[in-house]
Amino acid sequence: MIDRRLIAYFDWWMLLLTFMIAAIGLTALYSAVNTGLTSGQSFLFTKQLIWYCVGCVVMLAAFLFNYKSYERWAHLFYLFCIGLLVAVLVAGKLGGGSKRWIVVGPFSLQPSEVVKLAVILVLAKYYAKVARAEGLYLKDLITPAVLTAIPIVLIVRQPDLGTAIVVALIAGAITVYVKIERHTLVWLVAGCALTIPLVGFFLKEYQKQRILTFLNPDRDPLGAGYHIIQSKIAIGSGMITGKGFLKGTQNTLNFLPEQHTDFIFSVLAEEWGLAGAAFVLLVFLLLITWGLQIAQRSRDPFGTILSVGVTAMIFWQVFINIGMVMGLMPVVGVTLPFISYGGSSVITMMAGAGLLLNVSMRRFLFEQ
Amino acid sequence: MTKKTNKGYASRTAIVVALFMLWLAVIGARAGYLQIYRGPWLSNKAAVQYERELTIHGKRGAIYDRRHQAMAVSIETTSVAAYPPMVENKLQAAAKLAKALGVPKKHVEQKLASKRSFVWLKRQATPRQVNAVKKYKIKGIDFLSGHSRFYPNTTLAAQLLGFTGIDGHGLEGLEFYFDKDLKGEEYTITMLKDALGRGFETDQWVAESRAGNNLILTIDRQIQYIVENALAQAVTENEAVSGMAIVMEPQTGALLAVAHYPFFNPNTFRKYDRTLWRNRAITDPFEPGSTMKIFSAAAALENGVSNVNTIFYCENGSYALGGHTVNDTKPHGWLSLQQIIKYSSNIGTVKIIEKVGQKNYHDYLQSFGFGNRTKIDCPGESAGSLPHFRRWTRVDTAAIAFGQGVSATALQLITAACALANDGVMMRPYIVKAVTDSNGRTVRTVNHDIIRRVVSAETSRIIRRIMKTVIASGGTGERAALEGYSVCGKTGTAQKIDATGKYAKDRYVASFLGFAPAENPALAVLVVVDEPRKSLYGGLAAAPAFKQIVKETLSCLDIAPGTDVKKLRVSSRFRGSG
Repeated sequence: MIDRRLIAYFDWWMLLLTFMIAAIGLTALYSAVNTGLTSGQSFLFTKQLIWYCVGCVVMLAAFLFNYKSYERWAHLFYLFCIGLLVAVLVAGKLGGGSKRWIVVGPFSLQPSEVVKLAVILVLAKYYAKVARAEGLYLKDLITPAVLTAIPIVLIVRQPDLGTAIVVALIAGAITVYVKIERHTLVWLVAGCALTIPLVGFFLKEYQKQRILTFLNPDRDPLGAGYHIIQSKIAIGSGMITGKGFLKGTQNTLNFLPEQHTDFIFSVLAEEWGLAGAAFVLLVFLLLITWGLQIAQRSRDPFGTILSVGVTAMIFWQVFINIGMVMGLMPVVGVTLPFISYGGSSVITMMAGAGLLLNVSMRRFLFEQ
Repeated sequence: MTKKTNKGYASRTAIVVALFMLWLAVIGARAGYLQIYRGPWLSNKAAVQYERELTIHGKRGAIYDRRHQAMAVSIETTSVAAYPPMVENKLQAAAKLAKALGVPKKHVEQKLASKRSFVWLKRQATPRQVNAVKKYKIKGIDFLSGHSRFYPNTTLAAQLLGFTGIDGHGLEGLEFYFDKDLKGEEYTITMLKDALGRGFETDQWVAESRAGNNLILTIDRQIQYIVENALAQAVTENEAVSGMAIVMEPQTGALLAVAHYPFFNPNTFRKYDRTLWRNRAITDPFEPGSTMKIFSAAAALENGVSNVNTIFYCENGSYALGGHTVNDTKPHGWLSLQQIIKYSSNIGTVKIIEKVGQKNYHDYLQSFGFGNRTKIDCPGESAGSLPHFRRWTRVDTAAIAFGQGVSATALQLITAACALANDGVMMRPYIVKAVTDSNGRTVRTVNHDIIRRVVSAETSRIIRRIMKTVIASGGTGERAALEGYSVCGKTGTAQKIDATGKYAKDRYVASFLGFAPAENPALAVLVVVDEPRKSLYGGLAAAPAFKQIVKETLSCLDIAPGTDVKKLRVSSRFRGSG
């Protein structure tokens, strides 16, 4: 029973923006894995293509069924994801000093990526019920705080600080968007300000190093500061028009670290210059404003909050990743949505895009 | 959802969008700062990281003898290097590498422990060593190809050829003198390197390096071999310190052989005493001794003060002269000019020169090239020394007449002698006959060059006839006589000056200078034996070597014996009259 209006209201712009960014991502990845010494890694491009195919199926699934049914099953999905996070800690694959992956056949899954969607869904479901005009009181915030804290604690244990921060920021963005009562907000802000020094106490040595190095990259040019310096050199040497596709010297000659994952934006900026970087940022800007537009147009609180959550996820990751690559923020492992290599990341983002399409195309259901 | 809430959402959305825009503006400003304002600086910084200037030497040209036989060639070699940061399990790798390359394990360990991104493990390794290393498939080991110089005839003509250093530049001999021609074009390329310092092949790198030019020498490898053999025999048999020998073509000045003994191997030149490296026939002057008498005789004949049969009183072997005494080895009474040369009488020669006069004699010697460089195409040529006649005392003049108190290089001596072999015309000696490019096309050829006419053809012919009598029975050089060929020559036995500056009693330079065939010489040969101990005289120490060289060289040059047999009788007539 397909409603004709589903087709009439289908959000082609959203789809176009998604595919555009995906295409940009695949181009940058092709360069990152096909040049210089990493040419032996060209299979990564093929893998990413496969992930995008899987991602398209997931996106299709995410917008074909009415998102209202997702609201119903949100808690179950959340519990499933928490289960995955626990499984990672128990039987995950070690890589780069942390346990982040569950190996399934030839592929490894990163549950911390998927859990972002679970948190968005479960918070949207909760806030859709409790939201009111005067805002949320402290007692309304206890449940979402717990729902957010469980995955964050599990992710920090991996440890994967970047993703944990992203989950916290997504939750924070959703909560602020839903509106907190004024006095409660003041108390919360004051409380957080006091907590920050305490957080520093619990940070691991390498995480402290990263923050110190961020403040002064030249402190350790060959060690911790290497990422930032090389990234800046790559971006800067791209200048306005860039060095050309597959011609980025810092990329092809392996000076860039993590060039296909976290630092893929430097590859892009080196090879396509300021023009290319600005174009990518523009497309992200369009995607995010379009996401907020979808949230704005939805008459359903769950739909609105869900869209805000997904948009916040994309926004924060772009914000942190590019900030980090540009040397504006400390190096924390956060992928660039749709562009960085990684199956879990691609699937999560495609699912998110699917959810936005879903909310957008079903907005007529709530119109009078 | 009330309308009010919706309005709140709208304003908050606007705030979020505004914040995001602000963030984008910050990012944009940052990108602009990095890519526009700091771009050139960062680009330069990037270039410093990834570019490495590399100087490539084209393959060095080869040196061939006159028959295009290789004397010096450049061969492809492989050097083994390592990128220490990439080598895993360094101790194990070092053990394998040390075994494969035949170097001490400790050295390899030290090199692999180095923090540098690149170290040489073995320059110019042998193919076997390279294969042994390749078999281990150790990560972080690289093989770089280059050229190294190889002298296929090992010691043959080593002093003449010289050698190159490890950087491929000529250090001695022709390698040094013709370095500009031989060395391949040198060009700098910009090579890309990765974060570990490893190089990448670029388009420019692939470009074939330009090879240097080849030298074609006038040297004949076979004759050189003959000469070196004979010389080695002469030096060892006479327990001499060293020896040298030159074979020259009188009509052109082309050198067919320049030999030195003791030998050294230019492939491993560092293992030899550096005094052996010199091309002594060109760089080291010595007092020629009695070989000089042929020039004295030529001066007298040319000057007209004497003819062949003019007789001089030889004072019965002892001639007092200004506080000194000139001695002959055997006492003679009256001798003709021809006999003076045949028996090598010092007193006779002194008498002849007294008749010629100091200035005239000096001018003739100068004309024969004494005291001046021949300008041969070899490095380090010495001019020898011929003092100005105004400074000659009577004793000096006498000494110079029989070749003491004047010095010349072996090359000068044979060049002057060749004037007599070439009917009075002195030719410039040369060693490089042509220069060809890497494809064998001739770049330039060297034509033989006349220095000047020194004496008349007639005088030269007479001198050659006199020199023939030297070889004949009773002459000082009778051991040089050769069955079937007519040869002519002159012995020389010069006293050497010792450390105190006086003539040593027991140190001589024995030499033999001659031509063959006598009437129309195809070759001039000079053999010099330094400090022989068994037989001191040129006629004994050097003449047999001369004979052997002439005999084998003439057959090598396909000059059939017997063409001069008739003229041999002429020489016997001379003997009869002498």
